[in-house]
Amino acid sequence: MDTFGVFKVSASALEAQKKRMNVIASNMANANSTRTEEGGPYKRKDVVFSSVLMEQSPVELEGVQVVDIAADDTPGKTVYDPGHPDADKDGFVSLPNVNILEEMTNMMMALRAYEASVSAFNISKTMFMKTLELTRQ
Amino acid sequence: MDSFKTLEQLIHFTGMRHGVLTSNIANADTPNYRAKDINFTQALDDEELELKTTAPGHIKKSGDIQGEIKTETSASWEDGNNVEVDMEVAKMTENAMLFQTGISLLETKIRMFKTALRR
Repeated sequence: MDTFGVFKVSASALEAQKKRMNVIASNMANANSTRTEEGGPYKRKDVVFSSVLMEQSPVELEGVQVVDIAADDTPGKTVYDPGHPDADKDGFVSLPNVNILEEMTNMMMALRAYEASVSAFNISKTMFMKTLELTRQ
Repeated sequence: MDSFKTLEQLIHFTGMRHGVLTSNIANADTPNYRAKDINFTQALDDEELELKTTAPGHIKKSGDIQGEIKTETSASWEDGNNVEVDMEVAKMTENAMLFQTGISLLETKIRMFKTALRR
């Protein structure tokens, strides 16, 4: 039996979901940012997950990692607001393509995945503790 | 002494399956990841090593437990991933209980041996 491989796998999932949570938090915080350093309104970001081999034997244990934080290029809403400092010459303002409902859903999914990995971690811990208790016999 | 070996195998394979299920849960949101599982099978020992059973009441030597990794073929989500987290958690709980059963039986076995040695 792999000694601590399962813990690493669970930890990688916790880390990845936490990164996802950070990205969602920035998306929500910038739901109204019409100005960014690279110009134009804020574009929502998405994490890209990929599995990574953590241990080869006796079974392949695959953890998860965030390989990229990609920007979503779908155009956001434009509203007519001539008084806005970021309005174009026709008086339209481009808003970020952030949809709060979508972000909330993603956040719930990240939370559930995080909880599932915490459960897995706890089960692994209980199993190891039980094995250790054998030495007290 | 045979049951020690069987229990050891039980603990070994449930431990292995736990690792596989942990990987599945960790990759619940990874595109194109396919869920895996271990099938337990009882392999028959070599005929020569088998005890002779001449009456129906005779107990046959239990065979080795063997594990075979399989990839789940169930339908996948839109992103090519087919992990169902609830199922994985359920499997993991069941597997952990089996593991603990193995440990408890081993504990009992050790205690029995110690009792026998004391007298």
